Amino acid sequence: MAPPDSQPLRLRATGCRTALGDARATCAGLLLGRRALELLPVLGSEGGDPVPLAPLPGRNLMETAPPAWLSCLDELAAEIPPAPWGSARHPVFVTSSNFGVGSLYAVQRTGDPRHFATGMPFATVEFIGARLGWGTNVTVVSHACVSAHVGLLLAERGLRAGLADRALVFSFDFISPFVTGGFHALKILNGGMPAPFSARATGSIGLGDGAAFAVLELGQGGYRLSAQATHNEMHHFTGNRPDGAGFATCLAPVAAAAAGRRLWIKGHGTGTLEAGRLESVTLASVFPGAPLVSWKGSLGHTLGSCGLVELAVAIAALDSGRTPGTIAAEPPCFTDTVAIAPFANGGFDGVVLASNAFGGAHAACLLSHD
Amino acid sequence: MADALLVRLKQLIVDTLKLDDLRADQIPDDEPLIGSGLNLDSIDALELVVQLEREFGIKIRSSEETRAILSSVAHLAAYVRAHAPPEKLLPLP
Repeated sequence: MAPPDSQPLRLRATGCRTALGDARATCAGLLLGRRALELLPVLGSEGGDPVPLAPLPGRNLMETAPPAWLSCLDELAAEIPPAPWGSARHPVFVTSSNFGVGSLYAVQRTGDPRHFATGMPFATVEFIGARLGWGTNVTVVSHACVSAHVGLLLAERGLRAGLADRALVFSFDFISPFVTGGFHALKILNGGMPAPFSARATGSIGLGDGAAFAVLELGQGGYRLSAQATHNEMHHFTGNRPDGAGFATCLAPVAAAAAGRRLWIKGHGTGTLEAGRLESVTLASVFPGAPLVSWKGSLGHTLGSCGLVELAVAIAALDSGRTPGTIAAEPPCFTDTVAIAPFANGGFDGVVLASNAFGGAHAACLLSHD
Repeated sequence: MADALLVRLKQLIVDTLKLDDLRADQIPDDEPLIGSGLNLDSIDALELVVQLEREFGIKIRSSEETRAILSSVAHLAAYVRAHAPPEKLLPLP
């Protein structure tokens, strides 16, 4: 048997939930150009400016006790291949940007102590783990909008170190007035719909609900992660180095692993101007000619879950043979590599998936298949 | 005589951001507030915008507009004059 270091990192299963449904439905909706985002009051039933949001169908931003999103996680968990998750050889990595912060907001608003059960990260994960029958080998990870990528990377390290037979990475972020209000105060969540990678006068993002999982193991066959990388610029709370070096540094090991491959790229592409320009220009430089898409113009930014949600959608796109384009992008774009329309992906043999986060955090991976 | 609105805005900046080692009258009218000059960052800008919206009843729509408005105290004053309800521009008691 090959040593763990030399075996491929296989994705045994992936799945997700977005405002458009499961991974296949999400991909199908994106291919049809459906935009899940709609203008909704920024503070839910408390009102405020209309901003682009994509909650799960029927879900209100105001948290219930227990949270309404638990049924979404139950549905998603039913897709996970059975295993003694959370046992010594089957670790779980739970990643989120905000965990149950909407419950904390609800405690403040209603005084109902039942919200405390899901108001803090570890409490939320314990609550979910008990519900889904996980053991105690559960690691909680939060690193803003690259959280899911960090979970994937930790899972790979555990597998390659011989510490696990199989690993589950599970990620979720559900929007709440606390989160939407924060982005609204920053003025990047505003009245405009996001148009990722578009050279407009005003940038804007949308926010959406998202949850996803991936089961990883070492072995041949199927989809695999051929490279993973993270990098933190340590430059600024919210901004990137103006020369784009942070993006390039993160992408370098992925580019080395992808040498000779015909690639398409799923970028981060939230709809902000400065980061969108830096990202698209750097990607076009590192991967010349590779078509670049972002799906956040439809799904909104699903925050800490976005890396895993978009991985599941990318696999659904590969299964379908067509890659959804950058919905809502408007020419002129920052680079001519931005693909606005869907395209056939049969001629490609690799996908680069990139995410970025506050604090100058970057993550990328290379998805490939036999 | 100093422009009353400029004086008020400079004091608002000092108070909101707790710039204890700076007096309001030391803030120039035309120097950038973000990135150079006062060297405020985006978190400072967030705090300032929240306070400006609350005190002057204005609504700043995007981060690009924020950056333009905070390019100097003079720009900020011009924006507030153009967008704030008249009663919000009256001198504070």
